Amino acid sequence: MSERASEPSAQEDQGETLPELATPPEEVVAELAEDMRDAPTTATGARGPILESAGVSMVFGGLRALNEVTFSLKEGEIIGLIGPNGAGKTTFFNCLTGLYTPTSGAVTLRGRPMPQDPARVTEAGVARTFQNIRLFPSMTATENVLVGRHVRMKQGPISSLLHGPRFRRSEAEALDRAEKLLAFVGLSRFSDELARNLPYGDQRRLEIARALATDPSVLLLDEPTAGMNAQETEATRQLIFAIRDLGVSVVVIEHDTKFIFTLCDRVLVLVQGELLVEGSPDEVRGDPRVVEAYLGAPPDEVEAQLQTGAGPASDPAAGPASDPAASPASDAVESES
Amino acid sequence: MTTTVEETAPAAAPGPVHTGRMGGLLTALAPRSTPVMIVGGVLAIVGAYLPWVTFVLNEGAYPEKATLNFFVAPFGVSGFRLHLLILGVAAIVVAALPRIPARHRIVRGLGIGVVAVSLLNGLWITVSGGGLGAITAADGAVAFGAIAALIGGIVLMLGAASGGLEPKPVWEWQLPWWVEWLLLLVVFAVVLLLVAEVLTSGGQGGVVNPYAGVVFLSLLAALVGAFAALNASGLLTWVGVVSERHRLFSVIVLLVCALVLPLTSAGTEYWMTVASNIGVYAATAIGLNIVVGLAGLLDLGYVAFLGIGAFVAANLSGAAASQIGIHVPFLLVMVISAVVAGIFGAIVGSPTLRVRGDYLAIVTLAFGEIFVRSAQNNIGGLTGGANAIPNIPAVGLGDFKFSDSITIGSLRLPSGVMYYVAIVLLVAAVMLVFANLKNSRLGRAWVAIREDEDAAAAMGIRTGPIKILAFLIGATLAGFAGAFFAHKTGVVAYDSFRFLESVTLLSAVILGGMGTIPGAVLGASILFVLPEKLREFSDYRLLIFGIALVLIMRFRPQGIIADRHRKAELADDDPEDVAREAPGALPTEVKP
Repeated sequence: MSERASEPSAQEDQGETLPELATPPEEVVAELAEDMRDAPTTATGARGPILESAGVSMVFGGLRALNEVTFSLKEGEIIGLIGPNGAGKTTFFNCLTGLYTPTSGAVTLRGRPMPQDPARVTEAGVARTFQNIRLFPSMTATENVLVGRHVRMKQGPISSLLHGPRFRRSEAEALDRAEKLLAFVGLSRFSDELARNLPYGDQRRLEIARALATDPSVLLLDEPTAGMNAQETEATRQLIFAIRDLGVSVVVIEHDTKFIFTLCDRVLVLVQGELLVEGSPDEVRGDPRVVEAYLGAPPDEVEAQLQTGAGPASDPAAGPASDPAASPASDAVESES
Repeated sequence: MTTTVEETAPAAAPGPVHTGRMGGLLTALAPRSTPVMIVGGVLAIVGAYLPWVTFVLNEGAYPEKATLNFFVAPFGVSGFRLHLLILGVAAIVVAALPRIPARHRIVRGLGIGVVAVSLLNGLWITVSGGGLGAITAADGAVAFGAIAALIGGIVLMLGAASGGLEPKPVWEWQLPWWVEWLLLLVVFAVVLLLVAEVLTSGGQGGVVNPYAGVVFLSLLAALVGAFAALNASGLLTWVGVVSERHRLFSVIVLLVCALVLPLTSAGTEYWMTVASNIGVYAATAIGLNIVVGLAGLLDLGYVAFLGIGAFVAANLSGAAASQIGIHVPFLLVMVISAVVAGIFGAIVGSPTLRVRGDYLAIVTLAFGEIFVRSAQNNIGGLTGGANAIPNIPAVGLGDFKFSDSITIGSLRLPSGVMYYVAIVLLVAAVMLVFANLKNSRLGRAWVAIREDEDAAAAMGIRTGPIKILAFLIGATLAGFAGAFFAHKTGVVAYDSFRFLESVTLLSAVILGGMGTIPGAVLGASILFVLPEKLREFSDYRLLIFGIALVLIMRFRPQGIIADRHRKAELADDDPEDVAREAPGALPTEVKP
């Protein structure tokens, strides 16, 4: 972390000082995209909804953490989920990934009900990262990603015992994929380093690589830029665009509104367990209810704050103004790079 | 040809500045660390030659003529005095040659050995002699050997510490393949001889041989010192790298070495029995290592699976006391025992779906108790209760029984040698199982569950079945060992499988190093040889285990042989090493 913090945060410098922070190498992306296309879970190319929730409520004792949340994620879309602390964002995530069973309502993946078991959810093609990084600290970066491959490998105890030719082929393939994924997130140089020794930002990237190893069609990122500096945040944004280009739909929870507004095709605002507003970044940014609920202050004052907070980097062109359903891969990427 | 990655500090450089306890003393000594170390070495040698005991102890003369007067036999030092002499000379040579990389670190290792040997023998003499007079002056005789050597050892360690401990050098020698093969052959042959020496040192413990324990422990202490010194020189790591380069060759040579142990001094019936017992527990410990070391599931009743395997085998052996009066061939018995034990393993493992951590440990503890109590009360008539199941016939091939001795020409191998060979092969097979599983999808899943169960589940690992599988496979391996155990000992009684045995097995795994094969074998060897050697101390056996475990956990929490991952995990928890190592000692470490 200290090594990274001392780097100049200006974006122009990143190409020279930290080449691996830049966007993933093109050939790796191409190979990965090809690999992942073979997986049964990844995108079909259709633009239909892939992950949907209908009236999801979650009650803990007397506390209503989620109230009738309905949303849908389309293929190739990046959705942002924002809201003040305690708004139920992570609870909603946990409902989506089978960690919690919703008190009422249903979550469906491609029209089928979501299994109520984290392992089966991952198998069905929904991968996630955690708000507090939860890598396997005493495994190397490569091994962490290999664990992600677990669900797509079929070797049982007998072939694990015998190490036959098919076993070795499957291991070699997994290793190859792990190497590509590490290159994709820019961690090739750390492949044999223990996860616990990686700099903080790289641990987050490793977690993303590990989640991608499960061949997801939907990736849920819980505060992927928490604790990152501007340069790392920008790198993460590029990484998420690259992930979307692999055919993976993404849901992002984030506090950093500037990050969300420049990244997402659509933004959902959760306040006290309720879905308050849903729309394009521009619509959400301009919505007085959001400003009031999110920041808990008189609208005028905070709106100004929010606008400046959005800052010079996120000029109106940066957010996709068009209907995200019609053009999920909006020109935001191009205008950014 | 020789390249060292780490630079060694020039001897003439000003000494390092020390902080902390004794920092002032160490800083003052720093410029003179070489003479200090030489003085320590000389003191150790002097200690080796001085008499150690002032009078003949009640149990009989202390070994190695320790009651002899000064310089009666200048070249006649043997046993622990010879070890001290070797350590002392080695310390002087290393201290006097400033070009040896990491010499302070090496000398520290030697110093540890000197301190351990002199402390052990000195304490032993003091206790059995009934007071400090035994090692100082009494009955008109003086004996300051222990004190001189102890001071020598402490001075060695002080001198080494004051000079600043260098990082362990990394050797990257690449020799022609045949030279490396030859080298590995020599190394493994030396290891074989050392094993035989350790096993037989002090002889069989008991009333007639009161010093078996101390002679054995003293040799161990000296070996610990030598091992620490070799490790500090980086040579041990290098040999490890070389053997990794010729992995198959090393494995074969090691197997052959294990098989020719009966041809060494350890080739008597007694030591073969001891070695076979170690083998049984080593195989069981490796099985336990899957459950505890890889999957991180604490199992306090594991020895029950060994017991289940043994009782199944006993009942199918055709022994008179067995309930089922049929005799099944041994190989089939092994498989049946393993399968039955595995089924019980899966049953015991099933609560892992619901309970974690401490609660799981209690469930397994309860299972172990249930098994012992059931066996004690002869439930179903399958265990013989307090009468046990005696007279289990020996395994045989045709007319030949495994318990017979073998005579090939003029070579006569002791009885029980076939059992030894069989257990070596069994242990080798169990090792293969462990290694293959560890480096597979399954092994990674276990480690992932150990590291973070929720994250593992989020990666698509069905944690429940995978955890039960760990229990099942671990229990199966124990079942194999149990079948062997039944035929080897000839008697299966419930009191071989009490809680104490489970704890000892667990200690073996922790002591040797969690998640490693050599660690489990080493741990099992130490913990099951010690009681043989320390017969007269059987009352204090647990006390000694306890102290040893506490010391290990304090000074080497990753176990004697560390797993690569655990080593890194715990490496920077050693404040002493980190504080004194030069900056950049861990070149690949990137702090988060």
